[in-house]
Amino acid sequence: MIAKAKEIHDTKRILGEQPTLHLDVPDELFSATDNARCGNAEMFVKEGDHVYMGQLIGMRDGRFFKQPIHASCSGTVGTYEEHYHRSGKKVKFLKIYNDHKDEWDPSIKPRSDEEIEKLTRADFAKILEQNAMVGLGGSSFPTHIKFNNDKKIETILINGVECEPYINADIRLMFEEMEKIITGCTYLQKAFDCKRVLICVKKKHGELISVYRNYLKRFKGSGIEVCPVGNFYPQGWEIAMIKSALGIDIPTGHLPSEFGIANFNVSTVWGIYEAVKNNRPVCERRISITGDGIRFPSNFVVRLGTPLPLLLEKCGGFKHHDKDKVFILGGPMMGASLPSDDCIITKTVTSVLVFDKEELPEAPCIRCGSCVYSCPTGLEPKQIMDAVKAFDKERIKALNPLKCIECGLCTYVCTSHIRVTDYIRRAKIFAKK
Amino acid sequence: MMTIIKETAPHIHRKDSLARMFIDVLIALGPVTITALVVYGWAAFRNLAISAATMIASEFVFVLIMNRIPYDGSKHTVKEQFLHGCKAFRIHHWLAPLVSAVIFALIMPSNSNPGYIIYIALVLGAIFGIVIGKLVFGGTGQNIFNPAVVGMVFAKLCFGSRYVYGTNDYVNAVTSGGTILSNVSNSSTSLVGRYAAIGDISTLDMFLGRIPGTIGETFKFAILIGLIYLLVRRAADWRVVVSYLGGYALLMAIAGIFIVTKVPGVDYWHFLSFSLFSGGVLFGATFMFTDPVTMPINAPGRVMYGLLGAGLTVIIRLFGALPEGVAFSILLCNLVAPALDYYTYSGNRFTKRKIIVMVCLFAVFALAICLGLGFQEAITL
Repeated sequence: MIAKAKEIHDTKRILGEQPTLHLDVPDELFSATDNARCGNAEMFVKEGDHVYMGQLIGMRDGRFFKQPIHASCSGTVGTYEEHYHRSGKKVKFLKIYNDHKDEWDPSIKPRSDEEIEKLTRADFAKILEQNAMVGLGGSSFPTHIKFNNDKKIETILINGVECEPYINADIRLMFEEMEKIITGCTYLQKAFDCKRVLICVKKKHGELISVYRNYLKRFKGSGIEVCPVGNFYPQGWEIAMIKSALGIDIPTGHLPSEFGIANFNVSTVWGIYEAVKNNRPVCERRISITGDGIRFPSNFVVRLGTPLPLLLEKCGGFKHHDKDKVFILGGPMMGASLPSDDCIITKTVTSVLVFDKEELPEAPCIRCGSCVYSCPTGLEPKQIMDAVKAFDKERIKALNPLKCIECGLCTYVCTSHIRVTDYIRRAKIFAKK
Repeated sequence: MMTIIKETAPHIHRKDSLARMFIDVLIALGPVTITALVVYGWAAFRNLAISAATMIASEFVFVLIMNRIPYDGSKHTVKEQFLHGCKAFRIHHWLAPLVSAVIFALIMPSNSNPGYIIYIALVLGAIFGIVIGKLVFGGTGQNIFNPAVVGMVFAKLCFGSRYVYGTNDYVNAVTSGGTILSNVSNSSTSLVGRYAAIGDISTLDMFLGRIPGTIGETFKFAILIGLIYLLVRRAADWRVVVSYLGGYALLMAIAGIFIVTKVPGVDYWHFLSFSLFSGGVLFGATFMFTDPVTMPINAPGRVMYGLLGAGLTVIIRLFGALPEGVAFSILLCNLVAPALDYYTYSGNRFTKRKIIVMVCLFAVFALAICLGLGFQEAITL
């Protein structure tokens, strides 16, 4: 098929429109010490200490920022254990024995509306930094950095696109926590001193759009609007979203803030609400557990630090025990695959997918051009692949692979089932040298 | 036993495969093949069978040669080598030569004089086409030239004078021997004068294939069904089809203005339909220009490729020594395709510069036609 990939259909409709289930907090929770962005961490607690929920138990050290670590339940500190992190690496986790009391740290007090009214942009940045807010859409980029500049912001885009197929945790969050998200939007308006907030939702989610439009009638003149955007993948990529919502084309290498645009994921907005209003760090999140290898796919609200095997048990385990499985944290297009199911749910895990491994042998490329037509950044994956095979550094550099966002469309559309994205990743390494 | 396998993202694939692409082309070739079998009977079957057997056998030998057991110190028997090669023979290894073979069979004539020449032409053409046209470059996906066209051109250059474009109950010869285009081109020494006789051939006859020609390319209705199928299934790139057929029709429309004014008794619209429905234009646009392996990889390149093909076809038809220009224009375009893909200027966006190049390309061909035909003397009957 010589055609551009537009919408990636969730043809199997595994998850459907399932409501979110609240999961009992397990007896043992794990807290990551270091993660993909922060190389090393310093812990302030030792084995046997009692911690409160939301208590500061450590500090991660990124290259240009520090990130506090909070306990996600109250209980007793245990030992360190190695488990897989979302990034696919083995990381040391601190075990906490849950006492099931969920006592919040006494220093955490909710803010009154008057207090919030007085906050400035710098205060927001400070609150978010203290509460270790990161992009909950999966990027794990520290949110406070977006607040820590003086650029004039004219439009705030809220990313509710959920462009990866199979997942609908964000959509459920938007249905179930509508008030918090809208309040979070008003906080953002205050922080950036800007009027216009657009909540971007895929056109096909008509129900969600009408629910939000109805609710927003109460806030006439607030400047918060719902903005239906395209159904295609990768609509959730910020540059594609800005293009559909505002018509502004941001060239590669420039930040949206240079054009007066700030964007946040809906779950990040929900997290900002929690951090600003209740002064609480994110201790639970919504995740989808789905895929054709799972018996009962479901959406869950889980406490951070829950081990994955427990969740799989709640989903009824694997469907076909004789077939090989692929474990993916994140969406099916960009998610990282894990070598084991021994993984811990951290802040940035949006979903867990379990697929039966499908063997698709590679065939020779017939230059059909689907990858070239599909590339959202206008690259030519087939040409880059050829250059990588030829080790032609000059040609690789001229083809500009660093523009690639690794959306995975070139592999997805490939008629010959070649894993083109892998070659582009290699080209990026070549080009950086 | 269940194991967890690590793989790189993405983890899902579009429902699509290489075999599906080839089977789509074979299905699109179906109507033409069936019509050819009905009209020409044994001759069509012989063409198809000989070329398919030769091409698939060549590819099989190629796979055996390329997939030898790697050197590991011990000696291997011929049987082991053979079985190892057979394991590497996958579905696309016989579907790809089959597609080439069917196309090749359909652009060969039904008969020859003396009769045994056609067998030699078929076998040698098929071997030359698949080996020199494709396998020497490394097999499927690596070739520069369309194997079917290479084989056809080779056979035509070697045995062309012995070809007989057969007639039977369905196909009635307008003039004996040759295709209608070669008859037209031989009928007058004057460049424009050759078109004086095209009024004798009705458009309906051309559309239904009731004219002499190669066994497949005359059945325009069947080709159009195949073209629609290919475009609906997206097995062919519509950009090439549209730019080739559109460019061809526009250039022929320009040429028609000159021909109508200089040759008495030629109807403008009949000239246009004659240009479109004669020879291999539709067949080439449907099955040969749309071969993705030999065309550029990005959208602007493909549009340019189609325009270039259209221009070359028109120039060869109007001014060339040979009556038929499609096969040669395909080979020439195949040669240019890698240049259109050159990495310093390739890209999938229609930039202003590329649109200017396309317009210039079209203008050059239009100018060539105007200059070539404009200085011809008018014919008086």
